[in-house]
Formats: sequence, structure tokens, C-alpha cells
Amino acid sequence: MIAGPLRAARSWAALFRRFIIRRLAGERLRTAVTVLGIALGIAVVVAIQLTNASSVRGFEAAVESIAGRTSLEIASPGPGFDELLLNDLGWLRAYGSVSPVIEGDALAVTPDGARESVRVLGVDVLEDRSIRDYDLLDFASGDRQPRPQEFLELLVDPRTVIITGKFARRHELAVGSDIDITTGDTVARYRIRALLEDQGPARALDGNFVLMDIAAAQLAFQRLGRLDRVDVRLADGVSVDGAETAIRERLPEGLLVRRPDRRSQQVEKMLAAFHFNLTALSYIALLVGLFLVYNTVSISVIARREEIGTLRALGASRRAVLALFLAEAATLALAGCALGIVLGRLLAEGTVRITSTTVDTLYVATAAQPVPLGLRHILLAFGIGMPLALLSAAVPALEASRVAPNAAMRGSDRLELRFRLRVRTLALPPALFALGWWLSTLAPVGGYPVGGYAAALAIVLGAAFLVPGVLFAVCRAGERILARVFGIEGRLATANLGAAIPRISISVAALAVSLSMMVAIAVMIGSFRETVIHWIDQTLQADLFVRPATRTNIATESTLSPEVIAAASALDGVVAVETYRSFDIPYGDGTIILGSSDFRQEVVRRKLAFKSPPDGAAAFASARDGRGAVVSESFSIKFGCGVGDPVVLPTPRGERQFRIDGVFFDYSSDRGAVIIDRAAFNELFGVSAPTNLLVYLDEGVDPDVARQQLIDATGSSHRIFVYTNARIRAEVLRIFDSTFAITTALEIIAIFVAILGVASTLLTLVIERRRELAVLRLVGADRRQVRKMVVIEATVLGGVSQAIGIGVGLLLSLVLIFVINVQSFGWTIQFRLPVAFLLQSTALILVATALAGIYPARRACAIDAPEQTVEE
Amino acid sequence: MSVLCVDDVRKTFAGGEAPVEAVRGVSLGLEAGDFVALMGPSGCGKSTLLHLCGAMERPSSGRILVEGADVSTLDDDALTRLRRERIGFVFQFFNLLPTLTVLENAALPLSLAGHGLREAESRARALVARVGLEHRAGHYPQQLSGGEMQRASIARAVVHEPALLVADEPTGNLDSDNGARILELLAELNAGLGITIMLATHAIETATVAKRVVRMLDGRLADAT
Repeated sequence: MIAGPLRAARSWAALFRRFIIRRLAGERLRTAVTVLGIALGIAVVVAIQLTNASSVRGFEAAVESIAGRTSLEIASPGPGFDELLLNDLGWLRAYGSVSPVIEGDALAVTPDGARESVRVLGVDVLEDRSIRDYDLLDFASGDRQPRPQEFLELLVDPRTVIITGKFARRHELAVGSDIDITTGDTVARYRIRALLEDQGPARALDGNFVLMDIAAAQLAFQRLGRLDRVDVRLADGVSVDGAETAIRERLPEGLLVRRPDRRSQQVEKMLAAFHFNLTALSYIALLVGLFLVYNTVSISVIARREEIGTLRALGASRRAVLALFLAEAATLALAGCALGIVLGRLLAEGTVRITSTTVDTLYVATAAQPVPLGLRHILLAFGIGMPLALLSAAVPALEASRVAPNAAMRGSDRLELRFRLRVRTLALPPALFALGWWLSTLAPVGGYPVGGYAAALAIVLGAAFLVPGVLFAVCRAGERILARVFGIEGRLATANLGAAIPRISISVAALAVSLSMMVAIAVMIGSFRETVIHWIDQTLQADLFVRPATRTNIATESTLSPEVIAAASALDGVVAVETYRSFDIPYGDGTIILGSSDFRQEVVRRKLAFKSPPDGAAAFASARDGRGAVVSESFSIKFGCGVGDPVVLPTPRGERQFRIDGVFFDYSSDRGAVIIDRAAFNELFGVSAPTNLLVYLDEGVDPDVARQQLIDATGSSHRIFVYTNARIRAEVLRIFDSTFAITTALEIIAIFVAILGVASTLLTLVIERRRELAVLRLVGADRRQVRKMVVIEATVLGGVSQAIGIGVGLLLSLVLIFVINVQSFGWTIQFRLPVAFLLQSTALILVATALAGIYPARRACAIDAPEQTVEE
Repeated sequence: MSVLCVDDVRKTFAGGEAPVEAVRGVSLGLEAGDFVALMGPSGCGKSTLLHLCGAMERPSSGRILVEGADVSTLDDDALTRLRRERIGFVFQFFNLLPTLTVLENAALPLSLAGHGLREAESRARALVARVGLEHRAGHYPQQLSGGEMQRASIARAVVHEPALLVADEPTGNLDSDNGARILELLAELNAGLGITIMLATHAIETATVAKRVVRMLDGRLADAT
């Protein structure tokens, strides 16, 4: 019973090897192009997955290494809390070991001149050793670890630190060497007292870790009398869930308890929209790559009709033929996926680098290294690539299975029927566009613009169904025009394309979809850029912008010292100095930015551009009573609130309700920002050191001179970044451009793959029409004429794709700008049409598709005329 | 005047293990107005000889002169020009371009030779009428019967007034009625327009329309009548 199917399977496998594999090996170029197309699509998906994981994983790894055996953390919603509160937390010891912590980012300058960001941990080492491992290298001639008292003595001087052995080796440092560490804006010299082995927190951030005594860290970070958090290691047998609940109930107002990984989760959530959009974009190239599979299998089926007919005549079943061509697709996909995984890993190096500026500047500083390739990524590549490739090959494979033995062998089924336009073909696109319109009006689902993406998909499908109609119209209308311009070759090209509409529609759709995405993204980026330029014109009014050298992104807790503020105030020609403080606080299930400024000055300077009320001064005036706040547009959209609504913020003094007095435009962060008046802020959070400083100068004072004066005045003891107005504008646009560099890179790959698709389609047409091409050659067409005809066909395909791409791209750009961006990031973007870009890209696509036509044209010229026209 | 001169022509194809000599030293001459039927069984080399005479291929040795032009010395472009201007083709399977109408198919050689579309179609219209397809001029090949398709292909083959018309089994894919009509048409064109015709066939009744029959066997001419 089993022998029959087994024998059938064996003979099918032999047929597959001889009929399909040998052919694939023989047609090396076409096989390679298809495999490359799939591989590029898969590579982009894998690279983006690795990139997305790397930004979260980098942060997560640092948190995990530093957390050690910490089970729970006690923290405040703001930047730390008063250390006196620790006296009221003695009961915490009933749950296990307790260690107060100061943690911050700093800049280390080594004697060899290297500058590296380091994470500084300030702890009481005696208490902390139960939570984290600090094994020292070569302590006391390497035969033992220090006793508690000895460890304490190592860090008793506030200008001493312990660094990692890894960092020391990298910069040729040793015990006894000095190292300059900038905390906030203040530079201080520290002596290295010991080196940590590569374990515990020393593993964080590739060894860029510095251990200080807690008192020294408080001094360095200007956090005297304050703690960032208290780490708790629960005693054996104590349940984390139970302890978390019990501790939460007993904690005084303004303190919270959380697990260390909560911070990683918050980062993940913070990056979710950014990652979601990147992932969606990465699938475009894959989608386009799959069109290549369709093309390749189509070519096989067309070129081998007679052979398939012979197979059928000799007894191969329809099912066996179907399986042969599906297996061909599977073979190509298998090779494509395998190559794609390798390419994806290589590509990830680039994509991590491209996205790291955005992630580091706008979200959180992480180690910019792709995560290692895991089984998950391999499964993802094959899990997506294989089924989609089989799906793509289904239509031509079914076509193959329907080849009638006699018809194929006689060749009488070759005469094509002219394409006829059906009402259904015309009715579907408007229906899909209407569906897209409706979907775009839906609210986001779980914070994701699901309706927006569904709308984009409906529009893309509408575009695909639009292709046959547009091709029909172009071939009809263009018949005379092209004949007049290009002569008989133009006439033949339109006739050929007109007859092959069902065959070429899929490739044109693939290219049109890629191009529409390109247009949509270009319009969105162009509009966004114009909007940002307009916004910075309105908001960046100060002459100098100052921040600590260690504040590399919005979330970094680095503050400016009073000396720097005093130096800025003392500059010649200063009209005003404004300070601004911001930090992250938990809100909802994520984090938002809480900022404070002096609202009296805001009324005068009107730096923010307001969405509502249009008069920002009135909003600030109203919010000066300490109970009002102004919120960013993204906050307002994300949390569905507006002017007059309450917003409840967690503070060290418990929850406080504020009234929203204004909503301002803000393109610096998509997390949402709330700004309250300085007085209320200081009272609630007990901190006053600013994170940013704005300096206004008299007219006539040269900002570059003032900038240099400020840098000179602060001397070598402070490290600050001072930007002039012109420089900060350039910096904002630099960050903006780097944010969208990945988008452009992914688009270029998708278009490249789509153009491969056009070349492949033309090759299909050439093979399919080889008899007609042979007749053409026999009745007198020379090589140049045949070449010209095929290149005209390629250019017409490119032109039609670009025309549809522009039309549909503009529709998509509306969805991107007014739905997806608003729902993902909460940004209003003013629509702008980049006319120059559209003209340039059209010229580029026409040239690129014409070039893509050259190879099929050469193949067309090489057709053996007698062989194709004569059958005996 | 000699339209075609075949002088000791050989054609060898590189085969799998050994080369195959399809034409073995054939000499033949066609004068203006000749109508020669090339007969022989399958595989005798008549199609190969026809291809050589139609300037589709170059001989391995020997000379073929079409109106004095030596096919063996011409490059690909020159061969194309020769075919476009001086030779017409009729095939067994018609080989009309399915994307062009009857009129456009017939006008194709003129269009490819650089004549204006209007002029080409105007001249083609006369030929289409002559072959009896005036009412079908705007139809596509797939809308025609086999006989009509072959008549359209004859119109295309003679629209540029070639010196030589090469026909390979022109009735091979037609029923006897339609076949007879095609042969009548060819005889009429030969007599009326003075076109020299070389026709390959294996059917004796097809050969009867020719003025001269040349038989081939194993790559050589067997006899001539």
C-alpha cells in the first residue's frame, strides 16, 4: 500500500530534478536575479527586525547588568527623591537587602584623548555587594577579594573611582591612573583605585561603567541630599508579586515600586510606533521581491509550454505539473531566504547605524550594535518568504497544470486574444479607494494606526487593479502618438503591450506600488521638513542654546551647574537668560516628558507655536497660577485631551491635577510633553538645576563671539555644548534628515527590486513572443529596430508605473500625513507638493526602466528566426 | 535575368556527437518569373535550402546570389536589408503578428523599411484587396479563418514587390479547398506581377501549380523537371 505513493514520490522527485533544477542551473542569470530579488526583500525584513531589537536590547542589557539581583526598585516619578525619606523606609529591610543608588550618564576623557560615554553607578558598596557582584582584578596580588572595610577604603575619597578592566585595557589605564569624568557640565579628575572583572554591572555597555561611592556620585551629579532610587533584593522565599503589592501599600505618597525590567518595557513602548512604522516599510521590498517569483515561474511556464504538453501527453498528471512549478518557486525562495538572512545580518550593521541617531537623540541612548541573529529571525525569514513565494507562484503554476497536451504540442494555442476591458476591472479601483477613505477615518487600535495602514493597503490594491485600465488607455491613446514619434517601432511596442496587458499588469503594479510608496514618503518627508522649518522659525528665537555635554538625548538626566548659568548671565550684551528643565515621568503605561520654564518669560517671548488657543501668551498667562499646564500636540492627540481638560501627573508629593491651558506644536518628540510653571515644578519635584539654557542677546552682538566668550568663561572645568541659532537650526534639520535616511534607503531597495521585476517581465514577453519576433526579423526588422521596440516597451511600462505611482502616491501621502503620522506620533504636518522631486524621479524612472529593457532587447535580437518560424 | 543563383551550396549544423550536413552541394538557378516547387520527404533538407535562399541563414560553403548579392558574404544588417527589400516569406503556420490587424500586418515590411505609416497602409490596402480580404482589413488574425490568414500573409509577403517569394509548405495547415485557393493566388501573383516564387512542399498536388519541380533527397537535388 505504501510502495505506490512512495514510488510516485520518487519518480516525481527525479522529474523535478531533471525538469526544474537542470533548467534553473542552465538559466543562471534569471535564477540569480530572482534569488537576489527575494533575498533583498527578506534581508530588509530581517535587518529591520535586528535593528528594532537592538535598540531595545541594548537598553535592556544595560538595565539587566546593572540591576544585578535587584528584585524591586523604589523610585519617584520625577528625578529622584529626598534621601531623608530613607529614614521612613526602614521597614523595607524586612523584605531583604536594600541599597540606595545614584545612577547617571557621564563622559569620560582618558589620557589617550578618547571620549566615551559611561554609566556611573554610585552606591554604598558595603550594602550593595549583596545585590551586585564587584570582583576586583588583581586585588592584593590577585589571591583574594577585598574585605568590606578594604572595599570601603578604596572609595572613601570622593575623587576616586573603580572602572572596568575592559575599559582600562582599551585605553591603557591602570590602578593609580587619572581619568577626567564630566557629570552634567562639570569636569572633574578622578583617580582609578581598582579594576572590575568582566562580570556583574561591569558587563554593562561594553565595559563603559564607572563605580563611585554614593556620596561622591551625589556630589558629581549635583544631587546632594537626593537619591535616584533604592534597589531591593528580596530575601529567599519572598514572592516578588506579594512583596510588590505589600510594599506599594506601605510606601509614602510620591514613591513608587516597580520591577527593574519595567524601565525596558517603557523604552520598548516608547519606541513602538517608530518600530511599527519601520517594520511596515520593510515589507514593501519583500512584496516587490515576490513579484519576481511570479515572473520567473511565469517565464518557465511560457517558455516550456510544449515541454509541459509533452509531459502531460506522456502521462504526468495536472497535480504533478502544478507541484513541479510550485516546487520551482519553493527552491528559489529557499535560496532567496537563506541568502536574505545572511544579507540581512550585514544590512543590519548599516540600518542600526542609520537609525541610531534617531533612537539616541529622540528616545534613549543605547549601544548601537545589532543583536545576534537568532533562530527566531531564521524562522521569520523562512516563515514569511516560503509561503508568500508559493502564493506568488500559484497563478502561473495553475496555468501550467492547465496546459492541454495536444494544444501545446501543436502550438495552435499560441494566438493571444486581445485584451478586453471588463466593467469589473474599472469598478474595483474606485471601490477600493472609497474603502481606503472610510478606513482612514477609523480611530487607532491600541495606539497603532491600524485603520491608516489598512487604508494604505486598500489604496495600494486599488492602484494594482487600476493598472490594466490605465495600460489599456495608454496603449489605445498612445498608439498613434508613439507611432508618430518613434515610427513603426513605437506602433509595434504599443500593440505588443496592449496584447500583453494581463501578463504585464502584475509587474507594472509592483513597480507602481513601489513608486507610489516612494512618492508618498517623499511628499510626507518634504511636507514634514517644510513644517519643521516653519516651526523652528517660530520657536527657535534665542541666540544661544546651551546644554551639558553629557545630555546626548532628551531623556538623559544631565543638568547645568550654577557656574555655567552665571557665566551666561554675565556675557556682554545679554538681554535675558532662560532656563528649562525636563525629565521623563511615568504616565499611563508609558512615559512622557515633563518640562518646566518660567511662564512669565514665556508670556514675553512666545517661543512656542500654539495650536490652541492661537494666542500662546494667553495660555501661559492663565497657567501661571501653578494649576495650569500647556501640553504638546502629540500629548493631546495620544491621550485625547485638549484645552480645559484636566491632566493628572504623578509627583513626589503624590498625584496632582493640572488644567490644560494650551496645546502647542512640538516636533522634537512624539512621546508627548507637559510643561508647567517653574514655581509649581520646583515645589513639587524639589529640583531646580536646569537641563537647557537659552540666551538672548542684544541686537548687534555677534552670537559666535558670545558663544566663544561663554566657552572661555566656563573654562576647562565645564564641558557644555553651545549652539548659535543658525547652528541649532542646522542641527535640528540634520537629526530630521538622519531620521528619514532609513526610509529612503528602504525605498531605494524596493525600487531596485521593482526594476528587476520590469526587466524580468520584459524577458517573459520576449520569450513568449519569440515567434513573432522571429517573424519581425524575417520580414525585415533589423536588430536596432527590435532593440528600439523593446526599449520603448520598457519605457512605456516605466512611464505608466510612474504616472500611477504619482497619482496613488499623493493619495497615500494624505493617509501618511493626516492619519498614520497623527495616530503614531501625534504630529500635524502641512501638506506640500515636492514638484522638483516628482519631475526628477520621473526622469530617473524612465531612464532606469529603459536601461532595464536593454537586456531583454538583446535577448530579443538573439532569437533564431528560422527555428522559431518553421515547424515541420 | 537571374533572381537566384545557388552554386554548390553546403550547410552543416553542429550536431550532438557528429555534425549534420543538411544540404550537400546543391546548385540551382531561378530566373525572373520562375515558379519552382522544391519537393522531397521530411528531413531531405528542403527547408534548410529554402532558408538559405531566403537569406535567413548563410551557407557553410558555396555561394547564393540573390539578384547578384552574395548571401554568404553579407553581415546580419545587410541580410536583414536584403530580406526586407527583395524577399517575401509565406509560412505554413502563417506567422501573422496577433497584435496587428490584417492591414497593419500587410504594411509591416514597408513600415520597417522606413516608409511612412500612411503610405505603407495605402499600398498594403491594395494588396489586401487583391488577395480578397478588403472586408477583413481591420480584423485581427485570430478573427480570421486559416485560409484568410494565409492570404493575409501572402499580402504581407508581396507588398514590397520582392524579387523572390519563398513559401514553406504554404498549404500544409489548410484544408484542400483553402489550399487550392492559396495555390491559385500564388500562380496569379506569379503570372500577374512576375514575382519569382520558390515553394517547398511534400505534396504532389501542390507542386503541380509550379512551372518547374525540383526534387531533393538526403540533402542533394535528385532531378529537375
